[in-house]
Amino acid sequence: MQNHQPYEPVNIAGKLARYFLNSPLTLILGLFLLAIGYLSLILMPREEDPQMVVSGSTVIVAMPGATAKEIEEIIVKPLERKLKEVKGIEHIYGNAMDNVGIVTAAFYIGEEKEGSNLKIYDKIMQNMDILPKTAMNPLIKPLDIDIDIPIMTIAFYSHDQSVNQTMLYDKVQDIQHQINGLPNVAVTSTKGGHKHQYNIQVDLNKLSGYNLSMGQIVKSVESLAYDVPSIKTHTKNGEIILMSVKNAIDSAKDIGNIIVAQYGGSAIYLKDIAKVSDSYDYQNFKSAKICIREDGQFMNQLNQVTLTVSKLKGTNAVIISDEVKDELEKYKDQLKKQGISYILTRNYGERANEAVSELVMHLVISIVIISILLIFALGWRESLIVTFTVPAILAITLFVAYLTDQTINRITLFAFLLSLGLLVDAAIIVIENIHRHYHSSEAANESVDETLIKATDEIGAPTNIATLAIIFTMVPMAFVGQMMGAFMKPIPANVPVALIASLFVAYIFTPWMAKILMKKPDFEGEH
Amino acid sequence: MLRKLNLIIMNILRSKGKKRLVLIWTFLLFVATVMLIPFKIVEVKMLPGKNNDSFSIHIDLPEGSSIQQTQRVCQCVSQYIQDEKEVTDAEVYLGMGAPLDIAGLVKGSHFKNSENVAEVVVNITKKHDRDEPSYLMVQRMRPIVQQSCEPIVYGAKIKFVEAPAGPPTLAAIVAEVYGSDAMGIRRLASQIEAVFNKTPGLTDIDILHDTIYDKVEVRVQSVKISKSGLSVKQVNDILYLALEGMSIAIKNSTTYNKQVPIYLTLSPQTKDFKDRDLRSIENKLSSLKLMNQKGMMIPITEVVEIVPIKSNPGIMSKNLHKMTNVVAETDMVSQVYPLMEARSSILETLSDSYEISTIGLFDLELKDKESGLIYQLLWDGEMKVTLDTFVDLGGAFIAALILIFLLLVIYYKSFILSGIIMLGSFLSIIGVILGHYITDLFIADTFFLTATSLIGFIALIGISSRNSLLLIDFAKSLIVDKGMRPKEAIVYATITRATPILLTAVAIILASTLLASDAVFGGLGIALIFGTIAGVISSLMVVPVLLDNSDLEKHFHCDEDGIRCKENIGELEEER
Repeated sequence: MQNHQPYEPVNIAGKLARYFLNSPLTLILGLFLLAIGYLSLILMPREEDPQMVVSGSTVIVAMPGATAKEIEEIIVKPLERKLKEVKGIEHIYGNAMDNVGIVTAAFYIGEEKEGSNLKIYDKIMQNMDILPKTAMNPLIKPLDIDIDIPIMTIAFYSHDQSVNQTMLYDKVQDIQHQINGLPNVAVTSTKGGHKHQYNIQVDLNKLSGYNLSMGQIVKSVESLAYDVPSIKTHTKNGEIILMSVKNAIDSAKDIGNIIVAQYGGSAIYLKDIAKVSDSYDYQNFKSAKICIREDGQFMNQLNQVTLTVSKLKGTNAVIISDEVKDELEKYKDQLKKQGISYILTRNYGERANEAVSELVMHLVISIVIISILLIFALGWRESLIVTFTVPAILAITLFVAYLTDQTINRITLFAFLLSLGLLVDAAIIVIENIHRHYHSSEAANESVDETLIKATDEIGAPTNIATLAIIFTMVPMAFVGQMMGAFMKPIPANVPVALIASLFVAYIFTPWMAKILMKKPDFEGEH
Repeated sequence: MLRKLNLIIMNILRSKGKKRLVLIWTFLLFVATVMLIPFKIVEVKMLPGKNNDSFSIHIDLPEGSSIQQTQRVCQCVSQYIQDEKEVTDAEVYLGMGAPLDIAGLVKGSHFKNSENVAEVVVNITKKHDRDEPSYLMVQRMRPIVQQSCEPIVYGAKIKFVEAPAGPPTLAAIVAEVYGSDAMGIRRLASQIEAVFNKTPGLTDIDILHDTIYDKVEVRVQSVKISKSGLSVKQVNDILYLALEGMSIAIKNSTTYNKQVPIYLTLSPQTKDFKDRDLRSIENKLSSLKLMNQKGMMIPITEVVEIVPIKSNPGIMSKNLHKMTNVVAETDMVSQVYPLMEARSSILETLSDSYEISTIGLFDLELKDKESGLIYQLLWDGEMKVTLDTFVDLGGAFIAALILIFLLLVIYYKSFILSGIIMLGSFLSIIGVILGHYITDLFIADTFFLTATSLIGFIALIGISSRNSLLLIDFAKSLIVDKGMRPKEAIVYATITRATPILLTAVAIILASTLLASDAVFGGLGIALIFGTIAGVISSLMVVPVLLDNSDLEKHFHCDEDGIRCKENIGELEEER
């Protein structure tokens, strides 16, 4: 064995190890990988649950006066049959009620949203003639899971009795507009608000006492509350004169002073037979209340207005919720002066961030535990090498996930946690074999490089096959259908990537780092 | 430790009886653990509960209930919420759905717009600052709140809705009742509801259809109308205006930033009816007067007739068939077992009036003995998703097995060797099921075998086959290159490879410990921890035995490759 040939690697593992072992590229490649991984971690949108593509549309057709049975026969059934013609629909739900028919088409999970909405719209528009003449125009409302579900809800309330519901609502609407202007905010809406309204509440007894009808009141109010656009006229010199006719009503008092009827010279004012007030739309039965624990004690239930904020698809819930919070902070003092307070009643951004941070923490803890274990099992140098491969592998996986438009969510991180146990394997196997070769008699006659390449090459074939086997277990999972399949998609999408990355990192960086960190023990011919 | 392992394996491999004993024990253990599932010692569920920072309460009163009645029920619910010390705030949305969330989306919260509904969002302290998980809190509150608040209004339903751990479904158990006759569906649905009510473990039971309630119809007498010089429109308008109210004009305001409507109706004092009976309705309507063309005031009651009727319930259909849903949630138990129980009790109790036959796996077809009408009962909801997912995952599992087997056959060019590896990895199922059983013993609530456990098991097949692969590959190189005797090679390979096998196993176990504490992915964690242990034992004990029993040299193709394994053995021994 004096003039032995340099070891010729047979496997891709040994070849990679040989190529990168003395290459200056290795360090640059390593730093580059870590950098793109870190960038991806920063740039990728974070959310709690993975995004699911759920498409569906609801068609609402109103036909006042029709009974549920009629609606079923002339609206719901024909519409259902027409929607059956559309490809990709999983279920069609019909609901026929008095006056209105509702048909909902739910597409298979994963059917592309825009296309599906368009298909439904097309189908309905092409078949407008099947709807009865007396029916109103169909309303088509597509379901949009991304912008329908708010990521934040903020409840505005006031302890101050003088702040009435309409004032609260006005203020919330002002803020709503500002928040809607923030980048990536899709929809803002309010719940529980009450609008301004002049209420005329007629006393039925007085009405009959004066021998009046409701119709008369309507006519007299209508005749005064009439708006016309500005009138434009010209002088003889060609100048413009603008005239605007002011609405005769300006306050509740003005309405009360409307003359409803005249009996022999004495006028009957509206205020004589009705209570006129400048109030809110009390006929709107919808209202929102809130009770909050303050200093351990629940305060009384208060009226509230909820502002909801939803984000555009694929944007970062964490950033948006922070921006909304900052924006609200600007109004805090101003609101306080008016006696209005607010609390966040939902913050998915914060929840996503917490969930992600917690899992990242878990990842770090796991890595630390494994590296401590390896210190005892193999030695601190070996442990350091294995520990260093983990960020590199995760960086590659994150970058691929970023390129494929994924988000960081609970399931992605679980995929990482799941793969963590698997992805250190390749490095452990390589380092263990290097360790074994370093301490075996055969290595005594070989150069360090040769031992490293040989050790890596030796386990290349079984490691490749074994890793391939694990990848094979993950691939069929991508074909699991329904919502559950869509929900756990990050697992088959990321684990194989992490495993392939782990192979390359183990073959390229482990021998390279071993050369730098590990010392070959001196052998004096002992077995 | 490794030396001990060496001795143990050597010991086993030398004796035929011990080898047989290992295999028999393995087989018995395998059968015993698999039997834990049909005997319900380890229970199966789709996904376990998730510890959330909030939950919702949906309040549904019968159709035709007023907002005041709804508010009374809400008030009652609120009181119980305020007694909870972990609650930070609660928002009540009367007459509408709360801001949409993933659970509300499938339950149709965004379509809620009537006086008989309300939703309450309850925010509780962060899960790290709270001992009681949200699902246990809900489980504890549910019976108390339902018992004291539901009776306030007859027919009121209070449902506790938690954010699902996985994909959302309409309910844990959904029985879809199909038929051609609406009344028949209604009857059958309430019979099923009765069965659900008696089934332990089911809560929040409800039939998703409109209740039929009393209504009055104002019928216009056409002869009288034309004689009195009035029009039907006038009658309609006055009724609407007086009792419901109408915005009659819009005022462009200078003080407010929006247009302000002017709304006209009767004052509440004079509008409200004294009672629900016909007499008070007639009394009220008689004081409403219309002016005809001649300027005469005519009471409405002169031209109309008031008839009490029943409301028209909505007609629901799915995929073009008339259908009504009966829904139920499960209270911390898997939905599988209550469903099976409810199903068998349906078969029992309804067989008097229906001829029942089975379609598919669980679905039923019921034929009314009197009318001969046919109804169908199909199960949907989380149960259906569970079944579909487990079937899909099972398929994925079989596909994974075949793929790995083919890969191994290509690599080793031997069916037996590949078979040994597959068998060795399949044995990790012992650990998976046993692990769930052990965990279930140690934690307070039931630990279910879930979809994530199955994912863990599928991954384990790959992981364990890697162990066996490394072992066999090393044994092969020992036999082929160094010419060791198969038995020795197996033992030597087992011992040498034990270090990396154990190391990687411990790495997986450590990485999975943190998974195991998660509510949703706990199953995956437990499956990986115990499955890996079982996998390691199987790779280090069972696989060597199986290898020893097979004709290794033939499988390594010693002769074909022209490498004379046996001659090499001699050389090696000389060296020693």
